[in-house]
Amino acid sequence: MLETHMLNPNGYKNSAEGFAFQMRVPYYRGFSLSIIRNIQVCVDGVEYPREDVAITVNGETFTLEEARTVVSNRWVFGRFGEVSVKKEGGLSAGEHDIQVTVTIAPSYMPMQLVKTGHAKFTV
Amino acid sequence: MSYDIKKSVSLYSYQEAFYTGKLDLEGCIREAAKAGATGIELLAEQMVDEFPVITDDFKKQWFEWMEKYGTEPSCMDAFLENHIYDNRTCTLREQVDNMRRDIEIAHALGFKVLRTLVSTPMEVIEGSLPIAEAFDVKIGLEVHSPFSLNSGWSEGYMEMIRRTGTKYFGFIPDFGIFCNKIPTELTNQALKNGAHPECVELVQHAFQNRCQKGFVKIRYDKNLGAANMDYRMANGQGELMEALKKAGGNDADFGYAGASFAYTWNDPQDIIDNIDYIFHTHAKCYHINEDYEETCIPMQQVVDAYKKAGYHGYLSTEWEGGEMVEDASESCIEQVRRHQECMRRCIEG
Repeated sequence: MLETHMLNPNGYKNSAEGFAFQMRVPYYRGFSLSIIRNIQVCVDGVEYPREDVAITVNGETFTLEEARTVVSNRWVFGRFGEVSVKKEGGLSAGEHDIQVTVTIAPSYMPMQLVKTGHAKFTV
Repeated sequence: MSYDIKKSVSLYSYQEAFYTGKLDLEGCIREAAKAGATGIELLAEQMVDEFPVITDDFKKQWFEWMEKYGTEPSCMDAFLENHIYDNRTCTLREQVDNMRRDIEIAHALGFKVLRTLVSTPMEVIEGSLPIAEAFDVKIGLEVHSPFSLNSGWSEGYMEMIRRTGTKYFGFIPDFGIFCNKIPTELTNQALKNGAHPECVELVQHAFQNRCQKGFVKIRYDKNLGAANMDYRMANGQGELMEALKKAGGNDADFGYAGASFAYTWNDPQDIIDNIDYIFHTHAKCYHINEDYEETCIPMQQVVDAYKKAGYHGYLSTEWEGGEMVEDASESCIEQVRRHQECMRRCIEG
């Protein structure tokens, strides 16, 4: 399962403004960012608001709402992108539990694809 | 009748090894060749990083790999992204342009077949036929379970073939239409997720009933979701879910039951009946045991139908067991190797 390898164990960052992590999308091909419907981030059971989540792919950063119009930037299969989340003061020191659920809408599917990755990391 | 059945690997099979960086594109081609394949099937959107741009350097490298490993391009798999904009469907012109792009890529990389999906509208296929002919690339519609040949659905396309007289469109059967059991690993995964053994038995019993009675085939309908739901209901999904509810089924039970309708058994005679329109095949597989048997697809019976039909073309291993196991980044290589050997025995047997 691609979900098993979704989150980069070495990709976590923390700062006074928030935190960031690296993920690849557990879907079997590359795609334009416009088909991303949501990336839901939960850390230690706390879900962060959608408007506080941004993605950086191929050096370009978009909020999830902005990503809906981005057709010329492809998220390459197996390539890590960065997801940053606003949180005043950042995460506390110590171990954290992260759950990330990505929802995409490939054209040929009658339903949306929802995939979840889960990991523990230390700040 | 004479036949010439060749072995190919769809690099889709190695997706988890590629995703995790264990194999790069050359590594996938090398493993496929080592397993005995002479054909390489590629999802350019999956393994060509610069897609949709095919650089001169990539093209040169691609053909060098083909030569180095004694392989040839068999089929390129396309995805018509016709809902790339959230607020509208692409116009017919935009969709045909997208097909043109993919046909040109296939042509540049030496593929003679372009796989398209059931979601590609009929008018887009028809509009793409002159381009396919100009580039000598045939458009193959994947017959992916629960879609099937000799059905209301395939008749919709046969009508188009007869009306246009085209030689550049046909079918790519996917062996998911020849499952006479639910894939072993799917059952194992359900049990691991907490499915009740007695509910699993109910689901398997219902599947066996469908195999024996014959599946009600899916109809032709532009609304694929509606056609799929009607197919499921006509094949007893409602009754099965009711029975599971009575038996105290949980989420894992219902998930397993729902997933079981993705697999179908069709008479391999369907291949013989439609052979004039079949020029490539996805030899889908899920689990191949140490004795080189696909545990839910009677491979010899299916390959025998291809022989009887006089098939000239590739059977392309498409291993899809990866999504049923925790980590397939290593096992995908062994599963493909076993499936190629299984096919060799069936072809020579």
